[in-house]
Amino acid sequence: MIPEIGHILLVIALVLSFVGGLGAFALKRELPVLKISFILNLLLIGSFFALIYSFVIDDFSVAYVAQNSNTNLPIYYKFAATWGAHEGSLILWILSMNIWLLTFIFFDNSKNTNFSNYVFGVCCLVIFSFLLFTIFTSNPFERILPIPPINGADLNPSLQDFAFTVHPPLLYFGYSGLLIPFAISISAMLSGQPNKDWASSSRPWTLLACSFLTIGIGLGSWWAYYELGWGGWWFWDPVENAAFVPWLLAVALVHSLLVTENRNIFINWSLLLSIFAFAASLLGTFLVRSGILTSVHAFALDPERGLFILGIFSFFVLGGLVIFAFKNSTNNVASFYSLNSKEFGLLLNNLLLVVLAVSILFGTLYPLIYEAFTDGKQISVGAPYFEFIIFPFAILLGLLQGIALYISWGSTKSFSFIGKLIVEAISISLLTLVLLFILFDELISASFFAIFIFAWILAGSLMINFSFKSFANYLDFVNRRIGVMLSHIGMALLVLGIGVVSSYSSEKELIIKPGEKVEFLNKDIELLAIKDVQGPNFISKTAEIKVSDDKRVFNIQSEKRTYFPSGQVTTEAGIDTGLFRDFYVSMGDNFKEDSWSFRLQSKPFIRWIWLGALLITLGTFISSINLIRKQ
Amino acid sequence: MFRKLLTIFFATFIFGLTLAEEPNEVYPFEDSIHEERFLSLLNELRCPKCQGSNLAGSNAPIAIDLKREVYRLVKLGKTEKEVKTYLVDRYGNFIVYDPPFESDTYALWLAPLIIFLITISVILFRRFSN
Amino acid sequence: MKNLLNLLPLIAFVILIAVLYSFLTQDNDQLESVLVDQSVPEFRLPSLENPEITISKSNINKLPAVINVWATWCIACKVEHPFLMKLKEESIVTVYGLNYKDNRRKALDLLKKDGNPFELSIFDEHGKLAIDLGVYGAPETFFIDKTGIIRERHVGALTTKVWKEKFERFLNEDNDV
Repeated sequence: MIPEIGHILLVIALVLSFVGGLGAFALKRELPVLKISFILNLLLIGSFFALIYSFVIDDFSVAYVAQNSNTNLPIYYKFAATWGAHEGSLILWILSMNIWLLTFIFFDNSKNTNFSNYVFGVCCLVIFSFLLFTIFTSNPFERILPIPPINGADLNPSLQDFAFTVHPPLLYFGYSGLLIPFAISISAMLSGQPNKDWASSSRPWTLLACSFLTIGIGLGSWWAYYELGWGGWWFWDPVENAAFVPWLLAVALVHSLLVTENRNIFINWSLLLSIFAFAASLLGTFLVRSGILTSVHAFALDPERGLFILGIFSFFVLGGLVIFAFKNSTNNVASFYSLNSKEFGLLLNNLLLVVLAVSILFGTLYPLIYEAFTDGKQISVGAPYFEFIIFPFAILLGLLQGIALYISWGSTKSFSFIGKLIVEAISISLLTLVLLFILFDELISASFFAIFIFAWILAGSLMINFSFKSFANYLDFVNRRIGVMLSHIGMALLVLGIGVVSSYSSEKELIIKPGEKVEFLNKDIELLAIKDVQGPNFISKTAEIKVSDDKRVFNIQSEKRTYFPSGQVTTEAGIDTGLFRDFYVSMGDNFKEDSWSFRLQSKPFIRWIWLGALLITLGTFISSINLIRKQ
Repeated sequence: MFRKLLTIFFATFIFGLTLAEEPNEVYPFEDSIHEERFLSLLNELRCPKCQGSNLAGSNAPIAIDLKREVYRLVKLGKTEKEVKTYLVDRYGNFIVYDPPFESDTYALWLAPLIIFLITISVILFRRFSN
Repeated sequence: MKNLLNLLPLIAFVILIAVLYSFLTQDNDQLESVLVDQSVPEFRLPSLENPEITISKSNINKLPAVINVWATWCIACKVEHPFLMKLKEESIVTVYGLNYKDNRRKALDLLKKDGNPFELSIFDEHGKLAIDLGVYGAPETFFIDKTGIIRERHVGALTTKVWKEKFERFLNEDNDV
């Protein structure tokens, strides 16, 4: 009964969103948009809870539950399994779009009724199309009749994990947040001339979406690091790229809206970017869920679903672009800006981010293009390619970021800060190198570039050599710009983390038997025992490892789990985390008797990558909240 | 690739001392340059069966066979390029994450540069024609 | 000029969508082999029946033939086994077996129980020849023509349908020559 109620709630939401969407465009008067969004929200939450309920009570007559849960699954994961696969995650996605809409309308104080109506209308239509897609191709409430299975298949074991339970909701929240800037742009073009007021109403929401995208991607990377068992934190997998491209465009949009808001220029560009960013998030969905790209994350592969998503993508993106081409009355004359202005700096920033995004998208799709043109030959485009192309972009973006806070609107009067900045950056670099030498006893030249860029961004973001009258003045300045400072410093830490971890890492694969001692990086590593452990829905071989060096002694547990009923094997890496280095142990294969191979890795500064992502999340979040409060 | 690129800027690469062969190692090397090469190859070669993972990140039986093969070739003193060619001759370009630069892939490698040049010239043209 | 420039993104996205649509209809489950049109690689591996006997390329001499990669742990191999038997019994083509990463005793037991379609069985415990053939897993089947050249590769179970679609033409071609 409960699944049917969930299904019916979805259908009511479908009708309501359709009526709301049409009404908003047809009626030229004030509508109870807040009320409708609220009701829509209740319906979707109700439906979502119906699905959660079916999981919690093990209702295996519901096909989706039967495919993604199991009686033995711990209750916490039953809960999270709700969004563990395609159908359920769609409901979560739609719900989060609606939460965005509700929040936007709640804070919206625009005097232009048409503007608010249109934003509401666009959001409703997008929600409607997603509901249509869900109900017709991916209904999570579908029953297996007449004979339901006695037990479920199980949730993919590698998803049975804390980070995974929070990573998708946050990521979807970020993805779907890009709906708001899109809707605001369409609405601005339809309801009048988009100008700086439009930009200031869009910017906080773009920042907020950016914040959620960053934390979502960051958590995904952290999850991959400890769950996939090989110590990598980013793989340039198609699905990762599908999240990275919207992030790059959202970051570009944040910066171009800043220019539009302050100088009333780049209006067309900001409008287009709003459409592109939303398009990228839909495109990501398409790539992941149509199964055209094989990937570790691939959802159920279904060309029919792919066709449907492509339809949604085409309708909204082409619709947006048609409105842009024909309804947009903004003058297309090139805006005037001088080459030493903040405007030009931000233009370069946008250019680099967008070209990078397009290149990554092209690289991701290239295997398919190649296959089509070479008659079935296969090619892989992976990490080495993407790292190669991102390198020059990252350096240029980093250099720009360092001077970002110093340059002024209109024209920068003096560039004398550059000299001081270089001195600061070199000093910070040297300090960092000294620290690295103390920590690891060697200097690896491959990391110098990243260290300098880190120091350059850090020095530029801290603005310590900017002429302040007093320390109080400086604090006041920091207080006013805390958001941008935090996010830029976050970027600096991220760069340092990537630079150090990719040059200072070391690894070794050793065969060890219980009681045996080996040495790795001046540490004594002793395999104490290999135990058989019985978990709620898995059995595991757990290796107890004692690590000792001249400073301390600690224990690490590394596991190899076999989940039932699926029989899938996962590697649970044992990690000794540290601010300056992680010590990472993953279990490999069983050699004769009790001998196992272990992959021992040292991952210096890897935490800084996620620390950086966290600061970016925090910075963009604070900026956004401050802007919303001001409105 | 990231590292290789950096070596262009800094020719002085610091390597650890020559390693003594430990009996416990799954893939023992006498020469640290060989070991570096082996590890970097594992990251750049794709596990054919798993479809979305490199050799370093996979424990699939075929990945283990291929690791052993790569190990054998590196021990023989083959260069990174020779090992890749060896595998591409058997598995096609699918096996390397680092696509070759040849007529079929010019578009791939040059796209970022071309897009960048086109957009920057449009911007500068519009700025200065005003 | 103004409108034309504003239309540009629209045009770009129409192209993108057309490309994406073509990807959807693209069939990409077959992995193309680079070894097609090349000679069978050199190898020296023990026979499945007797570890003392070494089999090499020169033993693959009853051509045309297929080389079938199989193992006891492979479920699809059990599916295609009757078809391989049929190839042998009706003398359609010689079948060489490449026992891939398997247990010798189990493999022999299975051949005893279900029948042995293979002219010769190569025992490739560590996947040596398999790597040289670019094998992804079991089962895979290679067609070797009269001159010892690999003409076609199939990944997955060999069935009558697959045989008709991918392999039969090479038999006929050989008869014509």
